[in-house]
Amino acid sequence: MLSANGGALLGDIRATTVSGRGFTPEELVDNTLDRIIFISTSADPVLRQQAEAFRKSIRSVLLNYGNQCVRSNHTTLANRLRDVGHSDLIKLLEN
Amino acid sequence: MAISVTTAMPTSFKVEILKAVHNFTASTGNTFKLALMKATAAGSGTYGAATTSYDTLVSNTDELANGSGYTTGGNTLTSVTPVADGTTAVCDFDNTTWSAATFTTCGGIIYNDTAAGNPACAVLSFGGDQQVSSGDFQVQFPAAAAATAIIRIA
Repeated sequence: MLSANGGALLGDIRATTVSGRGFTPEELVDNTLDRIIFISTSADPVLRQQAEAFRKSIRSVLLNYGNQCVRSNHTTLANRLRDVGHSDLIKLLEN
Repeated sequence: MAISVTTAMPTSFKVEILKAVHNFTASTGNTFKLALMKATAAGSGTYGAATTSYDTLVSNTDELANGSGYTTGGNTLTSVTPVADGTTAVCDFDNTTWSAATFTTCGGIIYNDTAAGNPACAVLSFGGDQQVSSGDFQVQFPAAAAATAIIRIA
C-alpha cells in the first residue's frame, strides 16, 4: 500500500463484440458515453439528475454526428465505386 | 492445459512505477499496446499478478495468430496523460477496436512497447471466451475517475 488507505489499483474493462457487421452509431455512442460522463452512484440526487440530463443531451449530439459520419463515408465510397465503374454496387450502401 | 487468466495489476508493474520505467504521457510518452490471447482451450499459460511481460505471451504461443483482423503485438493504445482526480492519480486509454475480425479471445495484456523487455502493465480477463466473426471486437476502458480508471494510484 502506498498509504494507509491507498494503493495501485486496476479498473474494470468491458469487451463487446458484434459479428457479421460493424458497430452501429448507437452502439458506439453508448460505449463512449460512459467515458465522457461518469455518474457516481453516491452522487447528490440533484446533481445526479442534472448529470443524467446532460448525458442524454450529449448522447443525442454524438448520435447525430455519428450518423452523419456514416452518411459522409457512404458518399465517399459511392464516388470511389462510381470512379472504378461499379455504380451497380452503390445501392448496397443505401440500407 | 488451458489458458488461465485473472484480471490483475502485475506486481512487477508496481515496482516499475517506482523505477520510472513507464511514461503514460500522451504523444510524447511511451507506446502502450493491448495484445490478445487465444481462446481458453487453445493455449496453456497462466496470467495474472505474476505476469511480468508481453514476451511471456509470445513464448507460451498464447497470442492470437496474425491475420483475420488481428496484428501480432496487438493494437496500439491511445494514452491520455495521467491526471489527479481528488487525491487519486488516474491513467486512461481510449477504447480500442479490432475491425473486420474473426477470432476468439479470452483476455489480453497491456504492455509497454517502448521499454526494454515489453513489461506488462495490466492483465485483463474478458470473463470467458469472446468470439467475433466478420465483425468488430471492442475493449472499452472505464471512465478516468478516482473510483473507476483503468490504472490508478490512490
